[in-house]
Amino acid sequence: MENLNDDKIRQVVRENYAKVAESGGSSCGCGTPSDLPVIETPCCGGPSPLQKERPIQDSTRMGYSSEDLASVPEGANMGLGCGNPQAIAALKPGETVVDLGSGGGFDSFLAANKVGSEGYVIGIDMTPEMVSKARENALRNRYTNVEFRLGEIEHLPVADNSVSVILSNCVINLSPDKPSVYREAFRILKQGGRLAISDMVAIAELPDELKNDLDNYCGCITGTIPAVEIEQMLTEAGFENIRIKHKDESKEFVTEWVPGKSIEDYVVSATIEAFKP
Amino acid sequence: MKKDLMDILACPMCKGELELTIEEEDEKEVVTGSLSCAKCSEIYQIKDAIPNLLPPDLRNQS
Repeated sequence: MENLNDDKIRQVVRENYAKVAESGGSSCGCGTPSDLPVIETPCCGGPSPLQKERPIQDSTRMGYSSEDLASVPEGANMGLGCGNPQAIAALKPGETVVDLGSGGGFDSFLAANKVGSEGYVIGIDMTPEMVSKARENALRNRYTNVEFRLGEIEHLPVADNSVSVILSNCVINLSPDKPSVYREAFRILKQGGRLAISDMVAIAELPDELKNDLDNYCGCITGTIPAVEIEQMLTEAGFENIRIKHKDESKEFVTEWVPGKSIEDYVVSATIEAFKP
Repeated sequence: MKKDLMDILACPMCKGELELTIEEEDEKEVVTGSLSCAKCSEIYQIKDAIPNLLPPDLRNQS
């Protein structure tokens, strides 16, 4: 990503996810801007146009139960995650949750089911088409404890010390300024609040050829950093009890994102947990 | 946007408190209006009940 500036990265990510929102999730999550070659197989789990059933298959492989999948509005699951942050969040009734990069709202709705009527979920996403889609899903299914806002995860529109849990699924790797994301997350969490993230991390440096090949259109591979760097950013932000676990079973779906390139040798899905003391 | 969620909202830029101006609302939420920051004077629009709290540079691209 050295050859792309931050604004360009944000612009590409937004354009890609706007297209995914408009297509109902039936295109690649990491996107293919119109001036770039179309890749037929998804990355970040986004299904290819011919594979409408993909979100469900992929979500099961990412760790969601069939009960989870059946409990959210149709259309909210766009198959864009890379794990199941809910599984590590252990949400309790009454908690206030912020979902960073909420997309179609899949994880926000699952969280809303868990925190119940006394709790609240706020999904934040920088792509207008995604936020509109998530809101439609909420309205259609009469959710009263989840709201979506247009916002940037590096500049959260949330008050200090105001939320119990931060969720995020395969989003932070796309940020060109990850330290800001973690500093903001720390700021908005209450004392004792926790971070429950599923994201891609780097396990080996991408060869230049692959890096150039993937630049622009697959931020969820080229934007990844190693777990040690994430841990350092979290520590610098103030977090404690940091646990980052590679999910080796993710190789099964990661390998399909860019066939023939062995990307599973370079990136892996991981769960990231941390607490605000 | 629900009014009772105002207390956990903040200006994305300076983290100041936001003041709500309602232009249109229904029984559940604010449909059209704006949020203005008392500290840095930035104004954020609410359209179709969705507050646009993107930083000014990103907002202008949308």
